[in-house]
Amino acid sequence: MFKKSMMLAVIFALLLAACAPAAAPTEAPVQPTEAPAQPTEPPAPSGEVVKATPGQALNMVFLPKNLGNAVFDEAHDGASEAAQELQNSAELQYLAPASGAAGTEQISIITNATTQGVNAIMISNNAGDQIAPAAQAARDSGIAVVTWDSPIPSAEGEQVFVAQVDFDETGTVMADMALDILGADGGKFAVLSASPDAANQNAWIAAMQEVLTDPKYASLELLDIVYGNDVSEDSYQQALALVDKYPDMELIMAPTTVGIAAAAKAMQDEGLCETVKVSGLGLPSEMASFVKNGCSPEFALWSFKDLGYLTYFLTYLIASGDLQGVEGEQFEAGRMGEYTITNDPTRDTGLRVLMGPFSKYDADNIDEAVNP
Amino acid sequence: MMRRLERLKSWEGFLLAILILIVVFNIFTTPHYLQIQNQINLFQLHIEKIIIVVIMTFIIINAEIDLSVASVMGLAGCVMAYLFEQGVPFGWCLLAGLMTGVLAGLINGFMVAYVGLTSLIVTLAALIGFRGLAHVLLENRSVGNFPDWFDRLGQQPLIGPFPLAMIVFFVFLIIALIILQWSGAGRHVYIIGNNRQVARYSGVNVRRVKMTLYVVSGTVAAIAGLLLAARLGSMRGDTALGTELEVITMVVLGGVSIFGGTGTLFGVLLAILIILNLRNGMGLLNITGEIQTGVIGVLLILSVLGPNIWRGVRDAWNRRQRIQRMHVGEE
Amino acid sequence: MMQRVKRYFRPEQLRELSLVFLILLIFLFFGTQIEGYFSPRTFNRVTSDVAIIAVVAMGETLVLLTRNFDLSVGSIVGLTAFFTGKLLTFNPDLLPVGALLFAIGLGAALGTLNGVLVAYGKVPSLIVTLGTLAIYRSILVAFPAGTKNVVTQDLPQWLLDLGGMQLFSIGEFDIKPVVAVGLVMLVIFQLVTSYTRFGRRLYAIGSNPEAARVGGLPSQRIVLFAFILCGAMAGLAGFMFLVRYGNLTPAAAQGMELQGIAAAVVGGVSTLGGVGTMIGAMLGALMINLLQQSLLRWLVISTFWVGALLGLMILISVTIDAVIINRLRNIWTQQGLEINPVDETKVVNEKESHDA
Repeated sequence: MFKKSMMLAVIFALLLAACAPAAAPTEAPVQPTEAPAQPTEPPAPSGEVVKATPGQALNMVFLPKNLGNAVFDEAHDGASEAAQELQNSAELQYLAPASGAAGTEQISIITNATTQGVNAIMISNNAGDQIAPAAQAARDSGIAVVTWDSPIPSAEGEQVFVAQVDFDETGTVMADMALDILGADGGKFAVLSASPDAANQNAWIAAMQEVLTDPKYASLELLDIVYGNDVSEDSYQQALALVDKYPDMELIMAPTTVGIAAAAKAMQDEGLCETVKVSGLGLPSEMASFVKNGCSPEFALWSFKDLGYLTYFLTYLIASGDLQGVEGEQFEAGRMGEYTITNDPTRDTGLRVLMGPFSKYDADNIDEAVNP
Repeated sequence: MMRRLERLKSWEGFLLAILILIVVFNIFTTPHYLQIQNQINLFQLHIEKIIIVVIMTFIIINAEIDLSVASVMGLAGCVMAYLFEQGVPFGWCLLAGLMTGVLAGLINGFMVAYVGLTSLIVTLAALIGFRGLAHVLLENRSVGNFPDWFDRLGQQPLIGPFPLAMIVFFVFLIIALIILQWSGAGRHVYIIGNNRQVARYSGVNVRRVKMTLYVVSGTVAAIAGLLLAARLGSMRGDTALGTELEVITMVVLGGVSIFGGTGTLFGVLLAILIILNLRNGMGLLNITGEIQTGVIGVLLILSVLGPNIWRGVRDAWNRRQRIQRMHVGEE
Repeated sequence: MMQRVKRYFRPEQLRELSLVFLILLIFLFFGTQIEGYFSPRTFNRVTSDVAIIAVVAMGETLVLLTRNFDLSVGSIVGLTAFFTGKLLTFNPDLLPVGALLFAIGLGAALGTLNGVLVAYGKVPSLIVTLGTLAIYRSILVAFPAGTKNVVTQDLPQWLLDLGGMQLFSIGEFDIKPVVAVGLVMLVIFQLVTSYTRFGRRLYAIGSNPEAARVGGLPSQRIVLFAFILCGAMAGLAGFMFLVRYGNLTPAAAQGMELQGIAAAVVGGVSTLGGVGTMIGAMLGALMINLLQQSLLRWLVISTFWVGALLGLMILISVTIDAVIINRLRNIWTQQGLEINPVDETKVVNEKESHDA
């Protein structure tokens, strides 16, 4: 009885598909003017600065790590701005998993986008190398895959990574801020990161550990690295635990916007701001009061809006076939000027476009940053 | 007994109707739905989960629960990846991953069947503990670069368009169907789920059945974890985090009572197909994971509430009819 | 004397004592391991988190007593915290009492939906709350409320002050408002469950729903009421959550349902209904949270070990607890005293005969 009804269901479904004109699965997705098929031999970059041709209809998906992190909304704003400027008639899809705990949702989104036959996907990767098979499958079906904010560590399945800043430089910036805050005689500090598997945070921390071996930073001692999973409550508890675990700790360095805000609130609530400072990467609009009351005297970030804008421009160019996504190509990204695709020196393989620069925020410029 | 059978049949018919509705909806709304690759993806994106659903059905019919399956998946994969990283021959890594699942099942089973603790709390502690162990092994690393054949098995079709994991699922399903619906062992599972005391008096070794179920559950979860490792190509400490509730959702939507003793694998299979098709259709309409889960939640509640209301209305109608007839008779 | 004690206490009630014993054991152990652990500081750091979980666990206990589950509490906490935060973001002038009532009311409304579906819709509670767990979370994710997060910068000052404020101090032990709320709730609900008619009916329904119905108890209304109270408690916990953490993401309080149930079950509340106390639930929350917080502060282990050891220690403590209770029960039986009628296997039988 069961088998028969299943068969019936399938037959029914097939019949419907045959009758329904709207449901023509063979209908090809909107093709870009030139399919971004992988040429066996990419033409050598001509050395010209490629400019985008506005007005093409390209289906593009913007995929951040998760929802609820204000920086990704800013990046989305930037991408939307670029989409408008380029007069892309296809709507920009902003698809985000609600929680960043495990990256499997990103894999589903990429796989479904591949089935839909979109033209391009822009990923802030939260699944490490686990995303590579899905991204590779997307590439194999001719979809442009660009990562931003957080790359695919092995670069497999990714064409270009739009790096917000140089990942090695992030290490230096964090070490410098630590030295700045702790003073010339240095001190002990700990790192409060996002999830243990976040590719960009791990790269930044590794870069910082590398930098710390320099004699210039000999007075700094890194006590521990803990993970708040980019969830406020976990980060808050981890920050308080650090204080008790290391009574002589003077600074918490949190290279994540969720972590830095949670840690600063924890120190403020417990009245610890005099003894333990908080620094790292934070969003000015979330950190203003902590800068003013001294809990977080100094932190850094880059413009996520620009990052979204630049990513969109690059992806548009690749998806429309104007760029091949090979080393040495130069392109113009609207208001942000000219950029070059280079090898990524911070990874073993992969290409990147470097944005930069860092903006450091302290009591002097925080108001201006919040209300420009 | 007959009446219960009738009820179950109607439940499955009801699920089938929902499934057809969803499939038709998908066909009309998303042009890519019927592509073969999409039909494969529909299974493949959740294949490890639904492999576990099969064994979870046994456990819930047996009036117990296993919340630790997702953590065992992660741990088995991480044990395998850790040993591989240490340079152990790959075959041994796989075996060790599998044995991890057996061991996990032994621990859960011992605590539930022999120490007599509530399965909810035992497997909840196991959920926390096994996930913790996975993090201990891989810390903040991601381990990949498994042998090519392993990645191929996970990512490419094996026979025709079907990848290995799908074949494993259908083989498991057929074996489970035979055991649960047509064998003596399957009857024991139902009897225990219905009434432990009666089962004991009628000579069923309750402890051994429970122990066996947990060991099989651990082993199957480990197999699922290894398949997941092959599909994703690398392992991290948080892999497969938080999938246990969806597994349970599929089982209860299939008509298995959480208090045990009722439900069939046919119903569960239909529930699996419903949820996978629903997720796939919504995914193709750019509706993301948490909202999909919300819609599945609505469906889960309505699927039980709807028939309840229908029955209530019908009963009320019948009563009125009867009263009217009585009045007519009086006149 | 001993006889007297035994007449007054039942093994199940002594369970709380065995928990206290375990908590002391944990406390003493970590005292030797963590610098400055035996100080008011530990109390001050741990109690706020315990209070939030305890409030959730107490609400959960009300539902568990009636032989039902509420898996949606984590989503209710997240949803109320998030929406209350958004409400205050858009209406900074709202009175604190207004915000608090909004949180509790929203929680109660969500609990009402659960309760109506369970009590009047006759849908098993696990199915209802497994569904609403997902539904409430997806409302939070889908609701167009500007940005998808709440940040402290947008919240009114009084709310931020509440998080760091000390209501009063006993010596150096600071009682924060959040902790005080937790304690007040504990007292109220312990009294309600032990001394009111509603409380006694909760136990009656849970230990034998069939008998309760035959005996003429308004079971449906009582179950509904238990769910409403559970939702309201989760709403209150959501407010406490907002006060404590300030910054929220849509994933806020995800998984808290399992923490709450774990706390209640470790505290001796039976998932089969009719057994358990509020003090037990609170002690369960305290034990699990103390363990977790202490492990986070333990220098010997890296942060990656916390989960593994936490799971192991919960398992060990429930095993020890079961052994202690069994031992006590044997002593009672040997003395020829009547045992508490709520014996696990018996409950199982009743439940099963009811379901079949």
